[in-house]
Amino acid sequence: MGLSLLAPLFLAVGVVSLAIPLLVHLIHRERSETIAFPSLMFLQRIPYRSVRRQKIRHWVLFLLRCLALVLLAAAFSRPFLARGGGAAAGVSGARELVVLLDQSYSMGYRDHWQRALAAARRAVEEMGNGDRGTVVLFADEAHAVNQATADRASLLAAIDSARVSSGGTKYTPALKLARKILEDSPLPRRAVVLITDFQRVGWTPDEAARLPNGTALTRVDLSDARTSNVAVTGVSFQRDFPAGRERVLVSARLTNQGTDGVRGLAVALDLNGREIQSRSVDLSPRSAMNVTFAPFPLPEGTSRGTVRAAPDQLPADNVFHFTLTQGQAVSVLVVEPTGGATDRSLYLRRALAVGDRPAFRSDVQRALDLVRGDLEGRSVVILDDVGTPSAETARNLAQYVSGGGGLLVLLGERSAATAFAPDANALLPVRIGSVVDRATISGGKLTQTDFSHPAFELFSAPRSGDFSAARFFRYRRLEMRDTTTEPQPRPAVLARFDDGNVALVERRHGKGTVLVWASTLDTYWNDLALQPVYVPFVHELVKHTAGYVEAAPWFTVGQAVDLGGPKTERGELIGVAPSGRRTVLPAGTTSRVLAVSEQGFYEVRPPGGRAEEARTIAVNLDLAESDLTPLDPAEFAAAVEPRAGAAAPSGVETPLAPEERERRQAVWWYLLVAAFLLLAGETVVSNRLSEKGASG
Amino acid sequence: MTASSIPSGIPGANFLDPRVLARIDNLELLARTVVEGFINGLHHSPYLGLSVDFAEHRAYMPGDDIRRIDWRLWARTDRFYVKQFEADTNANFSLLLDVSRSMDFGSRGITKLDYGRYLAACLAYFSRRQQDRVGLVTFDSGVVDLVPTSAKHLDIVLHTIDRVRPGSRGTLAQPLLRIAEAFQRRSILALISDFYEEPQAALEAVNLLRAKGNDLIVFHLLDPAELDFPFDQPANFQDLESEQRIPVVPEQLKARYRELVATHLRELARLFGENRIDYAFFDISQPLDYALFHYLSNRERLARVK
Repeated sequence: MGLSLLAPLFLAVGVVSLAIPLLVHLIHRERSETIAFPSLMFLQRIPYRSVRRQKIRHWVLFLLRCLALVLLAAAFSRPFLARGGGAAAGVSGARELVVLLDQSYSMGYRDHWQRALAAARRAVEEMGNGDRGTVVLFADEAHAVNQATADRASLLAAIDSARVSSGGTKYTPALKLARKILEDSPLPRRAVVLITDFQRVGWTPDEAARLPNGTALTRVDLSDARTSNVAVTGVSFQRDFPAGRERVLVSARLTNQGTDGVRGLAVALDLNGREIQSRSVDLSPRSAMNVTFAPFPLPEGTSRGTVRAAPDQLPADNVFHFTLTQGQAVSVLVVEPTGGATDRSLYLRRALAVGDRPAFRSDVQRALDLVRGDLEGRSVVILDDVGTPSAETARNLAQYVSGGGGLLVLLGERSAATAFAPDANALLPVRIGSVVDRATISGGKLTQTDFSHPAFELFSAPRSGDFSAARFFRYRRLEMRDTTTEPQPRPAVLARFDDGNVALVERRHGKGTVLVWASTLDTYWNDLALQPVYVPFVHELVKHTAGYVEAAPWFTVGQAVDLGGPKTERGELIGVAPSGRRTVLPAGTTSRVLAVSEQGFYEVRPPGGRAEEARTIAVNLDLAESDLTPLDPAEFAAAVEPRAGAAAPSGVETPLAPEERERRQAVWWYLLVAAFLLLAGETVVSNRLSEKGASG
Repeated sequence: MTASSIPSGIPGANFLDPRVLARIDNLELLARTVVEGFINGLHHSPYLGLSVDFAEHRAYMPGDDIRRIDWRLWARTDRFYVKQFEADTNANFSLLLDVSRSMDFGSRGITKLDYGRYLAACLAYFSRRQQDRVGLVTFDSGVVDLVPTSAKHLDIVLHTIDRVRPGSRGTLAQPLLRIAEAFQRRSILALISDFYEEPQAALEAVNLLRAKGNDLIVFHLLDPAELDFPFDQPANFQDLESEQRIPVVPEQLKARYRELVATHLRELARLFGENRIDYAFFDISQPLDYALFHYLSNRERLARVK
């Protein structure tokens, strides 16, 4: 327990001032006047007093006066006991201390992190004998760095090893963890030191976050009244294919959430670690703007892109990472009947030519000309009213699908059951039956659709697509086969007509998928091609058949990235974080999820795999954290501190800020009273000595 | 000191503030002012006696000596009148004025030396009115000025007194010895000094004069500051005569100083009294009339004894 001073200068000045009376005395003695007197005859008979005057005659008085001056100076220097301070409470007892240290990336603002570490160290150093402490680091999640311990060295080491994370602020998990630690503690006193910048975005009132009764909460507020912070909050891409080469135009969105404007802010676009373009922009306070870079040709493979604004007080959110992959166009082979109309698949091809997420690259092939080589590199093969004329073609298709290809079979006039070779029966999930003629004005309707299926998920929301407008005049009856003896999964009916006939059926075959559509996708047997839902339906259908999974250009810290796509190898994978930390995703699990927690680029690859095989995942910060607007301390305290009436039990000591500690201890008051008592005593003693001197 | 603080009970005293008198440069005028004013204020003159100089007649009162009846006047007026004559002592009257440096001290606008000068002038003037022969001796450690006694020396005496300046360090024994040797005839001596001597030494010095048969009146002059020691602040006190300095804290020794001065005054009064020397102490804040009255009262006593 040490004595500290809030205003040490006062004490220094006070002690120095002790010399003033002596100085005055000496000066006064030197300047004493001379009085002419007729004769010193009588004065000389009196014992010589002037020498005695230069000496201290009354040591008691001298000491009383000096002590009173020192006490006055000490009172003005506002002393307090640096640790303990429980004198006011008058009760002692060991204390359970939980230091909640915010490590969200907003703590990287200015010197907040250094101040936070200093406050944490101070809290640990003020622990008394018998006290136990726990350091809890929190951002999106909270975790205790150590078990509750009285070893201050280990606590300080834990604090020293803490780093600013990439997470956002969430107070509730931290407070819940603190609550649990305190409730499990057998110690009589409880204290929580919360060191944070009190961002409003991190606080959601939760009764479960209220601290247990008797807990003393100390808030170390690091927030600033004025802030300056620019953040890159997102990017968007626009692809085109001039001269057959893919180009990308990148636009970045910048926000200034600070209270000060920014002029001449440099914004750069990096691709694969090299800056390729830069811009200079001005940003007003509390505003946002888009920065568009010139289109650039995309390199082969997956490219790592970064939009980087010039560093400011909080540099972490000035960087935005993303990935770009060339060749994401879905290759579609449309097989038409030999000898049919040349524009048979016109609607289909036109629909596939629309859009770039993904882009579809479609080719048309006559059925009889189809060879094995035509299937290579195709994502989807569409048999547009075409059977499998030969057994070889059927085997090639079965092999193609088993290897991961997608097969979409569209039935029509020419695709009776006889049009398919027997070897294709194993490939088709259904038996193709006769034609159902709904040649009425209204035709048949598509009534039952599985909106949970990816092919229809897009239309699940209200007014997002009306299949009932389409009229189906003809379609083929699809009869479900008994597939219990087959190794492949059972077929799934995705849609039915209003008469109960199957409209769309799907079945996994090997690594690929086979879908059978009971009608055509042109205007021969229905008018679906004339409906607004046609193009998106074709897109979704082909994407699903192709097993296309759109690679997200970036993820956000805290998200879980599902690595288990339909075509992903189920072997063991290793995820490497930007910091180099490795995460092993074991083989054999049906769902493999990688939780990303760091800003930057993750790499996921099989053990010993080549770099080309690695999948790159861009991870960005949760940009809600960029809003540094502070929380109302009173609101926070009201929601977190123990309820009124459940005051801290006697003996609970609040670890306080020095000013608050000094105010509560009020040592200056005692010193002042002591000084006045000394001065009163000095007056009494002085009077008595004077009377004694006069009478003597 | 103001007039109201002057001891009362002095009949007919017309007190004059020494500070007012100090503004009068002409010592003769000053002496006349004091003496005439003093005499005019008296109801009864105790100093008229046998003399060759006729003063006045007055009506015979039963009990008067019938030898003093003026028979010639009775013959002309058929009334009895008694002749009265001015007293005539024809005594030698010498003033012994201490002009040592210590006399040059005053805290109320007038120094002891000035007071002594006024007092000496008044006494000289008054004595001359009594037909005494007047003389003057000023001294410090030796005799400074000496005016032999003579009926015609009043002007010289006053002039000498007017020129008196503070001398050097003073003692009593040496100059008084010389004065005693100088005076051959019995005289009435008025010694005016501040008596910064040990009482016994002062007595021995004064006894040299008495041994010659002189009548001696001692006027002891002190300033109120020498009596009360009204100083408060610590200071260096410098002796006017020796110029020696000592640091003094007045509040520490004020009481002791007063006690020593009081003892000194009592001892002087006792010793002079035992040796039949008239001793009069004067606070120089007191009016000159008071000094005159004291002197004349003493003279009357001496005359009656004779």
